[in-house]
Amino acid sequence: MDVNVPDARLMPDTLAPPAAFSGRGRRFAWTFLLLAVAFGAVPAAIVGTGSSYLAQIAITTMIFVILSASLNHVTGTAGLLSIGHAAFYGIGAYAAALLSTKLGLPFVVTLPAAGLIAALFGFLVALPTMRLVSIYFAVATLGIGEMIYVVLLNWVDVTRGPMGIRGIPPIELFGWQADTLLSRYLAVAVIAVACVWVLHRLTHSYYGNALRALREDDQCADSMGINVERLKIESFVVATFFAGIAGALLAHTSAYIAPDNFRFMESILILAMVVVGGLGSLPGAVVGALFMIVLPEALRDIGDYRMIAVGATMFLSILLLPKGMLAEGTALGFVRRSFSRGWATIAGGTPVGWK
Amino acid sequence: MRKNAILGAVLGAMLATTAVQAADREIVIGYQAPLSGDRSQYGEMFRNAAQIKLEEFNASGKLAGAKVAITFEDSKDDPKEARNIAHKFLDNSKVVGVIGDFSSTVSMAAGEIYAAEKMPQLSQTASHPDFTKLSPWQFRNITTQAFEGPYNADWIIAAGMKTAAVIYIQNDWGISALDGFVSGFKAKGGKITATEAFNPGNRDFRSILTKVARQKPDVIYLAMFYEEGAAFAQQREQLGIKIPLYGTSSLYSPKLIELGRESVEGLHLATTFTPDNPDPAVQTFVKEYAARFKSEPGMFAAQAYDAVGIMLDAVAKAGPSVTRESLRDALAATSGYPGVTGATSFDPVTREPAKALAKMMVKDGRFQVVTGP
Repeated sequence: MDVNVPDARLMPDTLAPPAAFSGRGRRFAWTFLLLAVAFGAVPAAIVGTGSSYLAQIAITTMIFVILSASLNHVTGTAGLLSIGHAAFYGIGAYAAALLSTKLGLPFVVTLPAAGLIAALFGFLVALPTMRLVSIYFAVATLGIGEMIYVVLLNWVDVTRGPMGIRGIPPIELFGWQADTLLSRYLAVAVIAVACVWVLHRLTHSYYGNALRALREDDQCADSMGINVERLKIESFVVATFFAGIAGALLAHTSAYIAPDNFRFMESILILAMVVVGGLGSLPGAVVGALFMIVLPEALRDIGDYRMIAVGATMFLSILLLPKGMLAEGTALGFVRRSFSRGWATIAGGTPVGWK
Repeated sequence: MRKNAILGAVLGAMLATTAVQAADREIVIGYQAPLSGDRSQYGEMFRNAAQIKLEEFNASGKLAGAKVAITFEDSKDDPKEARNIAHKFLDNSKVVGVIGDFSSTVSMAAGEIYAAEKMPQLSQTASHPDFTKLSPWQFRNITTQAFEGPYNADWIIAAGMKTAAVIYIQNDWGISALDGFVSGFKAKGGKITATEAFNPGNRDFRSILTKVARQKPDVIYLAMFYEEGAAFAQQREQLGIKIPLYGTSSLYSPKLIELGRESVEGLHLATTFTPDNPDPAVQTFVKEYAARFKSEPGMFAAQAYDAVGIMLDAVAKAGPSVTRESLRDALAATSGYPGVTGATSFDPVTREPAKALAKMMVKDGRFQVVTGP
């Protein structure tokens, strides 16, 4: 694989930062651009059009950006194919819902608690399953995902079963309540950006290189002194933590949750986002989430053929871009250059390694 | 700046009123249902039935000066899609009311938004006890076990039977059916001799039957589905037990008779819709549906047909200048709507539906409408 050897040939010119930025300005160009879209353009569009539909889609997209980016961390970067991600999303959502409705805990507590509870379950699941590889690990996560779904459905005393939990309070921070859709979007966007930033620092680092190494050949990585089992467990726990955070955001923005939000198809949807975006590519995971949420909504007007069109688009995208919309190699070079994460020995030279 | 805005608003309002006077106003009802995915067959039935009812209504001239249209949106039975649709309908100022969704979870996911943003919502099928408790904006026209249980209890008491044993399936639905019947039966002075649960998938009722028959109740009440109902009736016949059977509407299926044959003879149940009901309204609907879509309408199509009918009647009552508020009030005032699933009224406070159910019994190998107790 060429993923760890940055090569200028892998980087199309279009991904290079705008020429107008140079020096310090160039260093932050992409960061500014992305933040400007998330906190400038999208809110402006919501206010400008007055469309609550747009705001709702933006919120859903942000939640799925977290899910897709976190699944990419374990499945793309560390190479553990997990098809039970929605279950941890569900655990986070139920944790936040129960802590806030039964114990009256505020959002500042329920949000991290949801992540930690999901991560705890992730840890317990990881312990026995880490010796499994490839499809065997996938089947184990499938089983565990179904198990958690069935528990949510049948443990009526705690989860209220198919009745679901309603009356979950909206996001609230020290007296400020996100009661309009715009403020709800902004709160979710801030958290989503923070989650992606943490995953970015984990992936785009020598720690990330170690994860990629064990994905490529775990015995080889082991012989190089990498603690394979520990790294696998860590990546799974990190991914489930962020899935839990996404669940808490769903619970607090939608006010009502039920087990049907966390069915197997949801895991598959998240996996599709990761694969369509580019397996192992964090920018790809973000683009994949955007694509898979926005496309079905954009195609609403074509009626009955909508899902066929979505399926065909996915099929073509995988056929024509098998490495995803933003392939891992391209994405790593892009991150090294545009977010200034790699070392450049000479000015304008190809950056290498990680800062 | 501000003056201009006010001027603009006044001008806009004037233009809007002249436009209304000039042409018929277009009123839109949103319909969200699973039109693709696992449960698309239900959404398809809803859409078919809704189209028939809408055409009937627009041709009837009940609402002068306005034309009603229905916009369908596909929710895929997915709560997140339902939330998007809810906002799409809310953004469209022409939409004054929404029908749907199919399952309770999805209806409630959207319902939370309709409740907060004040849009009347009528679900044809959401039976979750909390659905109508979300806000005064939620309605449903499907009866729950909390209604059906006491209704059947009244029927049994009126037929002169005083003691009953209840056999129910061990799930949330079965428990609600048990609660509904037992409370209704006791309230009318009846006595429950035994309540016996069985796990979903169980087909052997012999031990339950022998145990229950020992106490000699006047009637055995079955809260289960047709597969179990048929097995139960056959084993009762084999054991030579003659206690009459009454059951929930969930047993109403031609499969019950196909599987149970002679053993289900004499089983009584009350249901909302039956295609062989001689009522002319039912017959018109069944014929029209069969002619257009080449299949006999089931209970789900009938529920949608009536939901649309109730919604459109409320629009007509509120008049051509209907708003979301006035439509809600008109819906809440629904009383004795003559639908194909029985005359429907909404309780003005709880917004729960009450219906006159069709009383049926199995006779000569088919379901027949019973008149009298």
